[in-house]
Amino acid sequence: MKYIMVIDDSPTIRVSVEFTIKNLGYPIQQAENGNDALKKIADIKGKGDDIAMCICDVNMPEMDGITFIKEFRKIDKFAPVLVLTTESENDKIKAGKDAGASGWLIKPFKAEQLMSIVEKFIR
Amino acid sequence: MYVIYPGEYFATRADCVLGTVTGSCVCVCLYDEVKRIGGMGHFIVPGMIGTEGIIADEIAKQGITSMEYLIGEIVKLGGDRRFLKAKIFGAGYLKMINVEMGGIINSNIRFLNEYFALERIQVVREDLGGNFRRKVYFVPITGVAYRRLQKRNEDSSEFIRLEQEYIDRVFKNKERYGKVYIFE
Repeated sequence: MKYIMVIDDSPTIRVSVEFTIKNLGYPIQQAENGNDALKKIADIKGKGDDIAMCICDVNMPEMDGITFIKEFRKIDKFAPVLVLTTESENDKIKAGKDAGASGWLIKPFKAEQLMSIVEKFIR
Repeated sequence: MYVIYPGEYFATRADCVLGTVTGSCVCVCLYDEVKRIGGMGHFIVPGMIGTEGIIADEIAKQGITSMEYLIGEIVKLGGDRRFLKAKIFGAGYLKMINVEMGGIINSNIRFLNEYFALERIQVVREDLGGNFRRKVYFVPITGVAYRRLQKRNEDSSEFIRLEQEYIDRVFKNKERYGKVYIFE
């Protein structure tokens, strides 16, 4: 089984993203920061399952999104990572790309816009 | 004192005062008591929110994003969303508004209630509605807020003009969404 990880310290964003992509048929796992996500990903992989893709925020306590992507790339080089954030500065976007992100979507997002990116990444 | 104009947000860990005047817009003051970091945002959700609630509503996403900008700044300064408390002001039904705008102001009040419930952020002071403008002062590191009702429009004529310009701008651009960058 392949999971979509939704990583954001905002419960509203996590629930809103899950609501938007729930019909894709993938199980969704929520995490509230990078540390929490890495623990849950280790559990998923430990059970023989895998990650279809990650959708993550940038500014989070404990472990931010850019650090998470760097750590995630050490254990998974291929699963796409979409950054979903209010950050729009070129330096931040470049840092995300250099860390191994696959895409960067600036909030607010339109439901169809997020769906089409996620479908493109997982298929 | 830092003045927060309509559409702006600002967070700081400095011992200072943030101030604004709000009419139909909402003024959200957030503070992390543990880390002594806080901030203020002044915005409006530009439309009516549907019956499915804010997580399924495209217009509500504009309000969620306004909140994300403010909370993001607090988190960047070292604050933690889990420790935040809120004081919220504004959403006044001013005399010149029409029925549609009255519905939008109701939606803004509903947005705040749903948003803070979902975020599990405690609202320690809620001063919304009524038919007057409010002048709000906020000390971000302590969370102390002062609110004064504006009896005369002349007292804040500059804010009235700026708030109306901001409202016109966000209503015109309410279908605007963020850019996408694909790296592979």
